[in-house]
Amino acid sequence: MSSNRKSDFSVKNILKKVLFIDLIQGLVVTFGYTFTKTITMRYPDEETWIPYQRFRGLHTLNRNKEGKELCVGCELCAKSCPTQCITVVPMEDKTGKGIADRVAARWEINLLRCMFCGLCEDACPTEALKLGRQYELAGKSMQRQLRSKEELLAPQAVPADFEGGVIVKARLERDEEGMIVKPDMSVQKRWW
Amino acid sequence: MFDLINMNPMLVTFLEVLLICVKVVVVSLILFMLPLPLTYMERKVAGHIQVRLGPFRTGPHGLLQPFADMIKLIFKEDVVPAKADQFLFKIAPIVAMVPVFTVYATVPFGESVTIPFINKELTLYISDMNVGILYVLGIAGLSVYGMILAGWASNSKYPMLGGLRSSAQMISYELALSLAAVGVVMMANSLSLVDIVRGQYDWHWNIIYQPVGFFIFLIAGIAEINRIPFDMPEDEGTLGAGYHAEYSAMRFAFFMLTEYVAMVTISTLGVIMFFGGWDGPSFLPGIVWFVLKVAAFIYFFMWARFTFPRYRFDQLMTIGWKILLPLALLNILITGLVII
Repeated sequence: MSSNRKSDFSVKNILKKVLFIDLIQGLVVTFGYTFTKTITMRYPDEETWIPYQRFRGLHTLNRNKEGKELCVGCELCAKSCPTQCITVVPMEDKTGKGIADRVAARWEINLLRCMFCGLCEDACPTEALKLGRQYELAGKSMQRQLRSKEELLAPQAVPADFEGGVIVKARLERDEEGMIVKPDMSVQKRWW
Repeated sequence: MFDLINMNPMLVTFLEVLLICVKVVVVSLILFMLPLPLTYMERKVAGHIQVRLGPFRTGPHGLLQPFADMIKLIFKEDVVPAKADQFLFKIAPIVAMVPVFTVYATVPFGESVTIPFINKELTLYISDMNVGILYVLGIAGLSVYGMILAGWASNSKYPMLGGLRSSAQMISYELALSLAAVGVVMMANSLSLVDIVRGQYDWHWNIIYQPVGFFIFLIAGIAEINRIPFDMPEDEGTLGAGYHAEYSAMRFAFFMLTEYVAMVTISTLGVIMFFGGWDGPSFLPGIVWFVLKVAAFIYFFMWARFTFPRYRFDQLMTIGWKILLPLALLNILITGLVII
């Protein structure tokens, strides 16, 4: 094995071997890394990852600037849904002035069937529906995975205009229904 | 306050024996507890070298992790394979463990201190043998029997290979280790570990006079305690877990204990033989210097473990027989010529 390897008997090479230069270089590298900042993300107790805006997480229903729901109950989302997990029941809203508006009486999504493809978001003509960035959806009951309009209208922890792609401080909260990771957007870090 | 000289000689003898017993118990307890901080330290060093955190979730900064591991190991089922040699399989961890503890009978931890109240001088070693270093090297070498027995008794191919490797490795490196120690013995003109340290007082550390001897000792020592880059007997990349692959629960823990105590033994020997033992600036007591130096050695072993890849087995033999052994002999020759 070693016989057919060409030996290098230059002074430099011999000195390198006798003084363990290669080994010491290796040790220096690892010693340097010992004191660098670690890249471990302590999810979910202390830190969590905020995805980019393109992320497709839990659905969110938007309101316009006056606080009125943007959803017009057109049912396009329900029709475009490949798994048929969206239920929309439209009704007439007569509280507004002038013409009666078409709004959703019920807007329900079954997250057990949803595959987060985002076709509903693309189909929506009024930009009422958007796939948000909440992805901790585990719960202890099937019923919990049927999300109603009221739940989806509530703003998510990550605002829609936030760029994302960072790690933020977070806190894990448990209740009877399941658990949720509450991000604290004020403390952000990037490790790269 | 009463004086020992005026006391009944029977009582004095009794006190002497009691003191030795107390020392034995204290040293054994410390050695038994050592793997707790050492496993924690090893995992933290590994973590930070690999830009991770290491254990972090059990207690503050993962400090309770070793205790959790200990509890887990105690409560795990003790499996003995049906086709294993029952007697040898059960006795092997003990055979491995006892010698590494026995070594500490002669290891000195510092100059003698005086106990207050009874004016009794207390030596910080259990006994100062006049062949101390010979005893330490001889007894420490016995530990390999445990590994060979474990490998043989498991009746399984990987432990068998691990056991064979450990014996071959031990033969090749024990020689270089002992010959490296001979240089130190020549410097101190004594085999007693206490005298070796006393010969190095006032910064006349052997590392200055015996650098080659130290490097031989260090390399052979790493091979002796089966750590990367020379951990062939438990080469997890190719042998599963090597000689203790079939072991579980406390029997496995005994092997881990053996390994960590052996690491401390080699570190202690290195400190005593080459780094002046408890010699150091006087603002700290000797025992503190001793512990710090041993800790530095242990850190070095862990650091090296997570830096270097493993040597191939034939490379390991080549290093042992073709490089370290002749070098150690040359070192002895030159030391002898210089001393004369």
